[in-house]
Amino acid sequence: MSDKIKIKFTVNGDSEEREAVVGETLLKFIRDELNLTGTKSGCEIGECGACTVLLDGKPVNSCLVLAVELDGKELLTIEGLSKNGELDRLQQAFIDHAAFQCGYCTPGMIMAARSLLERNPNPNDSEINKALSGNLCRCGAYQEIRDAVKDSASK
Amino acid sequence: MKMLSYDYVKCTGLSEAVDILAKEEQAYPYAGGTDLMVGMRGGKFAPKKLVDVKDLPELNVFEENDQGIIIGAAITLNQIACDDSIVKNIPILAEGSHSVGGYTIRNRATLAGNICNASPAADTAAPLYTLEALINIAGPDGNRSLPVEEFFTGPGQTALKKGELVQSIVIPRPFPAGKGVYSKASRTGSVDLATVGVAVQNWGEHVKIAVGAVAATPVRALSVEKAINEKGEKSSAEAAKLVHNDIAPITDIRGSREYRYHMVEVLVRRGLEQTMGV
Ligand SMILES: Cc1cc2nc3c(=O)[nH]c(=O)nc-3n(C[C@H](O)[C@H](O)[C@H](O)COP(=O)(O)OP(=O)(O)OC[C@H]3O[C@@H](n4cnc5c(N)ncnc54)[C@H](O)[C@@H]3O)c2cc1C
Ligand code: FES
Ligand code: FES
Repeated sequence: MSDKIKIKFTVNGDSEEREAVVGETLLKFIRDELNLTGTKSGCEIGECGACTVLLDGKPVNSCLVLAVELDGKELLTIEGLSKNGELDRLQQAFIDHAAFQCGYCTPGMIMAARSLLERNPNPNDSEINKALSGNLCRCGAYQEIRDAVKDSASK
Repeated sequence: MKMLSYDYVKCTGLSEAVDILAKEEQAYPYAGGTDLMVGMRGGKFAPKKLVDVKDLPELNVFEENDQGIIIGAAITLNQIACDDSIVKNIPILAEGSHSVGGYTIRNRATLAGNICNASPAADTAAPLYTLEALINIAGPDGNRSLPVEEFFTGPGQTALKKGELVQSIVIPRPFPAGKGVYSKASRTGSVDLATVGVAVQNWGEHVKIAVGAVAATPVRALSVEKAINEKGEKSSAEAAKLVHNDIAPITDIRGSREYRYHMVEVLVRRGLEQTMGV
């Protein structure tokens, strides 16, 4: 069965109307239908956080959400952060602190960290660790990631 | 990635959802999807239809009334973990909810989904046992209510009958007078299922203890409770040893049977020290 359902949503500020295949994950829809490949696919079982996006302002693992659930919602992906070619503060802080090696975890880390800073503009180390505990970095850049988040918070 | 094939329906009324669940084969309530999506990928579930219950108004109730605190089945674990009344009156449930996965998982995962998935390691189960929570069930033959201890019937199994779904979970009044703690031993100290989970709730005059991941369902540590509540045992170390009578742990990837016997005793002892001052 590959039924499709018509869905309306906004992605990074733009309204869109598309068809989503029932049974397809939001992750696959974002990458293959919207061609926004900044969102990464790692484990596809909720364990790694590489696929983190903001749905109605809240971070979710897009590999555990159905594409059809996007109907009526607002989606923010890593591509939506920069404005007029300028990186946002958190993205710049990741660069300044070399908070990655391969960069595969970075989009998910940044989306999860962004949501943390909205909830708690001045997080301490342990609050950052907790908030990012669902995001794995196989290169082990955790210290630099924490520094980048703190630095961005202080600005 | 294998494309999964099933229907999806977003229900707007409880009776519609019950109707579909009662009439159609292999129709599953779909809440946060954090167990379902993983289970479908691994072949554990093969639904023909997902019935999205997240928007049902009846399942979005979250209020405190004369009966207690009513938590609708669509309420997420993050909502529970930071709710003022829950943090104040029944912090053990806030702790149990907060210990599930990471923040992004808890944005989607529901309390009802956690107990309906019926993992013996479900982190909210042991706290709910010590609070004597009630599960409100809606079904084709009307509504009924069950104590949470009767809801769990085996690993992955519940007392729900065909067509039934959980409408809400009630934490009844009076709320416990004393302190309660939920402690979890896991492999990483970060996002991981419990190797052992222990809830100890002081009720003022007596204590209630429940343990997870050490039997086919979460269980009450009745031998420990009896020693303290009825026989006046004052030593938390002596009382904690008795938990071995109440459990039947197995060896799996998270820990051996022996390790679980050991850890559950340690966590019960610490829980008693923290809550009962014994
Ligand atoms: C990365 C990761 C980490 C996790 N860590 C933990 C952890 O530390 N501790 C822990 O306990 N769990 C953990 N889980 C498991 C999971 O997140 C929880 O069990 C969650 O609470 C399930 O809720 P849900 O709303 O996502 O359920 P769903 O996946 O939507 O549903 C789960 C089951 O319950 C049924 N169901 C859902 N709602 C109802 C209803 N109202 N009535 C009847 N049946 C219903 C579904 O049909 C399905 O069978 C983790 C999962 C992931 C992916
Ligand atoms: S790909 Fe979604 S959490 Fe790993
Ligand atoms: S930078 Fe490589 S996974 Fe994090």
